[in-house]
Amino acid sequence: MIEIEHAIIGHNRPLIEIEDLTLKSGKVYAVIGRNGVGKSTFLNSILGYVPLMSGKILLNSKNIHTLKRNELSNNVAFVASKFEGVEYLRVREYVSLGKFANSSFFGKLNPEDTNHVDLLMEELSILHLADKFTDKISDGERQLAAVARALAQDTPVLLLDEPTAFLDYSNKKRMIEKLVRIATEKNKCILLSTHELDLAMDNSLPFLAAHRGILEVLPSLRKENISDYFH
Amino acid sequence: MKYRIWFLIAITLSVALPLALWLHASSGDTAVPFQVMIDSLWNYNPNNVDEVIFREFRLSRTLTAMLAGSALALSGMLMQTLFQNPLAGPYILGINSGASLFVALLLLSGISIGGAQIGIVGSALLGALLSSAFMIFLSGFLRNQISLLLAGMMFGSFTSAIVAILQQVSGAEALKAFTMWSMGTLQQVSFNELSIFSLVVICGILISLFMAKYLNVLVLGEKPARLLGVNILRTRVLVLLAVSILAGVTTAFCGPIAFVGMAVPNLTRLLVKTQQHHLLISLNLLFGALFLLLSDALILQCSEIIPIPLNAFTSLIGAPFILLILLRRVR
Repeated sequence: MIEIEHAIIGHNRPLIEIEDLTLKSGKVYAVIGRNGVGKSTFLNSILGYVPLMSGKILLNSKNIHTLKRNELSNNVAFVASKFEGVEYLRVREYVSLGKFANSSFFGKLNPEDTNHVDLLMEELSILHLADKFTDKISDGERQLAAVARALAQDTPVLLLDEPTAFLDYSNKKRMIEKLVRIATEKNKCILLSTHELDLAMDNSLPFLAAHRGILEVLPSLRKENISDYFH
Repeated sequence: MKYRIWFLIAITLSVALPLALWLHASSGDTAVPFQVMIDSLWNYNPNNVDEVIFREFRLSRTLTAMLAGSALALSGMLMQTLFQNPLAGPYILGINSGASLFVALLLLSGISIGGAQIGIVGSALLGALLSSAFMIFLSGFLRNQISLLLAGMMFGSFTSAIVAILQQVSGAEALKAFTMWSMGTLQQVSFNELSIFSLVVICGILISLFMAKYLNVLVLGEKPARLLGVNILRTRVLVLLAVSILAGVTTAFCGPIAFVGMAVPNLTRLLVKTQQHHLLISLNLLFGALFLLLSDALILQCSEIIPIPLNAFTSLIGAPFILLILLRRVR
């Protein structure tokens, strides 16, 4: 699915070096590491938003940084760590924007896409908020709406920057479980950066640990080793 | 909430707009009977003085008010979405100033290109285009909403300083032509010029309608819009083209008119609470026309007692409105 070859990730100075890494469909990877280690930059590089300092990232053997804009939006969706909401924009309208590439001249969706949007809102239990304004719901509800919007894009790759940061414990748990289910059911490759190590371990997610300038793949993480990756 | 919007549109179209039209057309020094209004449109007799007065002076002013109001409101709405700033508008971000500067350069330097009116329209459009390009360039560095407004105002002061110097050094004839234009009035557009005016405004509206779908995504911000497949550069350029066309041509024909472009889109959003830009475009066209018709009707009604320049009147309403928005939405 995603292959990373000899990549150096960073803006002006190198943050993470990746020799060789393959990410598979149907899995949820937890990107972990200290603040400022480059987790967001790593996700933004896979998004094609931040160029690599060297090396390349391949998506189905195509270089992600040379993909056309619409090829990219058809393949990769992103959920930022915080969506502030937009005044007078309703939740259903917001989630529908995930289908933007498929919409008519007047921005309308076809019936099939409309149904999919409703289905996604139901799956994430935010259907009752459909007609509420996005700036008038809680942080957690907004986060769920943002995930629904990204899922509406229906891409094989989904990247989430700390999707659980503003959720309460039970919603955190549900969010991770939901993502795992979506990844297996729809055969998506999902990457999320997180500090929720316990939840990730409970769901036995494979880890991508960024530390000391490299990204290490840990098929599983043991509690006693955690401190190795956070100093 | 859907019917609320349709109800508003229906009421505006069927009651408010005709009423405002009639009020505006019948305001003025002499009363014009309704029959004369109808005759001058469908049964025009060039020898009837009343009909000539109505058609050549009143009607052109009424139509100019509608066109200018619609164009300014739409351009303001486009800028507010583009800059993600409820306080943006063609006047406050210096688009009018840019247009004024170029008209001043044309009129006061004594160069006349082709017909005077075409020259003014052309230079106003160019000035509007350049100043909006400058603003979008600045907006890349000024993330704060208020900073951008301050930059727009500084730009405005700067251009008016140049205009003031130009006025000092120019000849009497050129000065008169420029001063006449800069007073800002809806009276100077003749019936024939209206066709150019409306054609240009229609171009602006068509571009806006074409861009509406992209504006719907742009409210999320630039990065999310780009990740959803929107071509940001093309969107910015086309929207600014529409803004410049709309605000530039209005400034060319009517002189600078303040605050309409900022106030009407805010009122519209407050009334209909939507981010669907096809709706916002239609409603801003409607409410903009309505707003300027009513303002100008009021000016006409008062003209016996006290003559108020249009620009002064819209500032009287607009400036407190900005304050209100600052208190409510920006703080």
